[in-house]
Amino acid sequence: MTRHLAQRIAQALLVLLAAFTVAFVLLQALPGDAVLIKFLGSEMGLTADQIAELRVAYGADAPIWEQYLHTLGNFLRGDFGYSIRSGVPVSQLLTENLPSTLRLSLLALAAACAVAVLLALLSQVEGFGWVRAVARSMPSFFVAVPVFWLGIMLIQVFSFQLGLVSVIAPEPWEELILPVFTLAVPISAPLAQVLIRNIDAVFGEPFVAVARAKGARHQWVLWRHVVRNAMPPTLTMAGVLFGELLGGAVVTETVFGLGGLGGMTQQAVANQDVAVLQAIVVLSATAFVTISLAVDLVMPLLDPRLSRAVSAV
Amino acid sequence: MTLSRRSLIAAPALLPALAFDAQAQVAPVRGGTLIYLEQQTYSNLYPPAGGHYPAGGVLNQITDKLTWQNPQTLAIEPWIAESWTINADATEYVFKLRPGVTFSDGAKLDAEAVAKNYDTYGRGNRELRHSVSEVITNYDRSEVIDPLTIRFLFKAPSPGFLQGTSVIGSGLVSPATLALPFDQMGDATKIIGSGPFVVTRQVLGRELVLNARPDYAWGPKTHPHQGRALLDTVRMIVNGEDSVRVGAVLSGQAHVARQIPAFDEARIQGRGFQVFAPPTRGVNNSITFRPDNPLVADIRVRRALLHGTNAQEVVETLLSPNYPRATSVIAATAQGHVNLSDRLAYDPVLAARLLEEAGWTHGPNGVRTKEGQELALAAYESPNYARSRDTMQLIAQQWGRLGVKLSVLAGDLGSRAVDSLDPAKTPIAPAMVGRADPDVIRSNYYPTTRNMLLQTGGVSRKVQSFSDPTLNAQLDAIASEPDQAKRLALVAEVQRTLIDQAYVIPLFEEPQVFAGSPRLRGMDFEAVGRPSFYGAWLAPR
Repeated sequence: MTRHLAQRIAQALLVLLAAFTVAFVLLQALPGDAVLIKFLGSEMGLTADQIAELRVAYGADAPIWEQYLHTLGNFLRGDFGYSIRSGVPVSQLLTENLPSTLRLSLLALAAACAVAVLLALLSQVEGFGWVRAVARSMPSFFVAVPVFWLGIMLIQVFSFQLGLVSVIAPEPWEELILPVFTLAVPISAPLAQVLIRNIDAVFGEPFVAVARAKGARHQWVLWRHVVRNAMPPTLTMAGVLFGELLGGAVVTETVFGLGGLGGMTQQAVANQDVAVLQAIVVLSATAFVTISLAVDLVMPLLDPRLSRAVSAV
Repeated sequence: MTLSRRSLIAAPALLPALAFDAQAQVAPVRGGTLIYLEQQTYSNLYPPAGGHYPAGGVLNQITDKLTWQNPQTLAIEPWIAESWTINADATEYVFKLRPGVTFSDGAKLDAEAVAKNYDTYGRGNRELRHSVSEVITNYDRSEVIDPLTIRFLFKAPSPGFLQGTSVIGSGLVSPATLALPFDQMGDATKIIGSGPFVVTRQVLGRELVLNARPDYAWGPKTHPHQGRALLDTVRMIVNGEDSVRVGAVLSGQAHVARQIPAFDEARIQGRGFQVFAPPTRGVNNSITFRPDNPLVADIRVRRALLHGTNAQEVVETLLSPNYPRATSVIAATAQGHVNLSDRLAYDPVLAARLLEEAGWTHGPNGVRTKEGQELALAAYESPNYARSRDTMQLIAQQWGRLGVKLSVLAGDLGSRAVDSLDPAKTPIAPAMVGRADPDVIRSNYYPTTRNMLLQTGGVSRKVQSFSDPTLNAQLDAIASEPDQAKRLALVAEVQRTLIDQAYVIPLFEEPQVFAGSPRLRGMDFEAVGRPSFYGAWLAPR
């Protein structure tokens, strides 16, 4: 187990370095750079000489490998540098944006899981054929709803028309109600789909037939055997979705004016703000690696067969 | 006078505000919290970078300037400077400062502090990456004569300097702030001014909270409000979604919002809310040619496109009466404006004839060709300008009817930055700048500054040969002509050159548009449309 863990951590470090390098190379491949975007823009009206001077000061024309080693060296020392666009240390941007993103993502994921489980159970209800049909068609519907539209509709109806919650200067307790709902809808769809499919598949397994032949009732079989066996793929899915949520909630963040990693990433890419983007890439790669490691470690608890496979490695 | 003309045009927007003021003879209410919605967050608060509207909106509340440009008359009036003298050739300025002014960190705003500010803005600071301010030209040095008297010396005449001391980019900040590198000036809590508000809380990218400074007693003497600000607190909240900002004002969740789409104005006013549309008084929203590109090197082609552009249709279909059709390169509310609308007439027949004369004949695909080459042009939209994409696409349709193809590009910022330096890739570009001084026209077209025409001698290394020495000589003269009347005559001359050479197609005058609650009173805008909350207050429900 320890050896397995050490291996996984070594793998993780390699993944991080690769992510850092690939992101750096890709950014270099884009036309233009952060200094050009920031200072050529009309807001400051700088002269040709002044822009040339700033390019030298920022090392924007230094060879790429030099810039790479410089940035990598700084990262290894824990110095993320400054955002050229925002004029603040990258670490400050992260500490101000990360908590709100984490809160939003965790709550949205929890809500999405609840919705997914509910839909999966409804899809197995005995009798009430129409309930099963509706529950089974919901995921496709949820996936098809544009997040942007959903967010704006929720704001217009529940905040501006009915005045139930405030979105502009909300109290802490009401701040996340609509955004969590907006995010949970599209996230719950793939979860529900995978869960329903797996439950259906497990119901076809021979051991379910055996359990039934022994006289077990539908509910008992469902909870005791089927759901438990259908969980692992869903858990993997949830892990991946959570990773995506961390950086992928841009639309929700923008519509609700929440700020967060999503918007920060989008701005960093648009402005080729290398320092910020590198920090985000390393951070999200760390998150992905940690989450998938955690999922792998939890999996054997749900399915003892997996722990045997692990110890065989 | 151009001003009265403009106020007539702007009347629809100002009427509701006046009506409210008329019924509001009650004494202004002191205290309370105002919620202001911004479309974007500020990106850096180094004052010379305050041309960016979100940054200017913050700096205007927390910093004071040496002089105050009266937004109605555009006259330069005393503020931190009580009086000043200028020598005949505008190379020496002496300012007498108001006593007893302090920055919010306790530092004195005296001649020493002013010298430190202007030495930075006038010369830049390489080590701290502070750049030179666009509004200060030919700066040499400052001399502190006594604690309340300062002299500025210039290497060459600098007639635009007095107005330059009134703009947001010349906001005075504490010496402690000037000691920070540029890379840390995006943190509003570190920007210490002497203004009526101070930054008390910041959530980067999301919200900035300003509190009134209780001991503030040095507003412009001619400002209708005196003493400390009326409001206790201003919360500036960022929301990038237009419909949410408008809905928030209409539902009472916010009191005022910036960047209101033209098509929402009527709905807002119809519900008894206010729409403010202060003008930006600079270079109009326009299309600029890069004649270095052979396709638009021929004046006949440029003139054809100028007369083939129906600016009236742009204004009527996409905008509102707050966006008057342009009558010259600069706004009718700008100093030195001349009405050249007779040279800007929409005349598709003339346009077609000019293209034929230039040798561009109808080709097989509906696009005109000459020696096998298509008359196909490209331009980037500019998301910061009002309805830029829609405007460019409508013009593309108008030009399409003439047989000229215009591709409107979106593209990422990097590609835009690189391509906008290359006349071969962007033969035309949209442009617009706000500033209430005749110098604005020079800085927009002069090769070493904004260089909108892409002449040789600027930042771009892609320009082959285009340069217009006649135009440049006229622009040069604006920067150094100390006599105001002669300076305005030069500005008129430049406008004629730009139109007669068909370097520019002026489209419309671009205001800054805000929506405000009916409770909001005393809302003010500086000369180019940034909000000032100094005299603002909220009437009781």
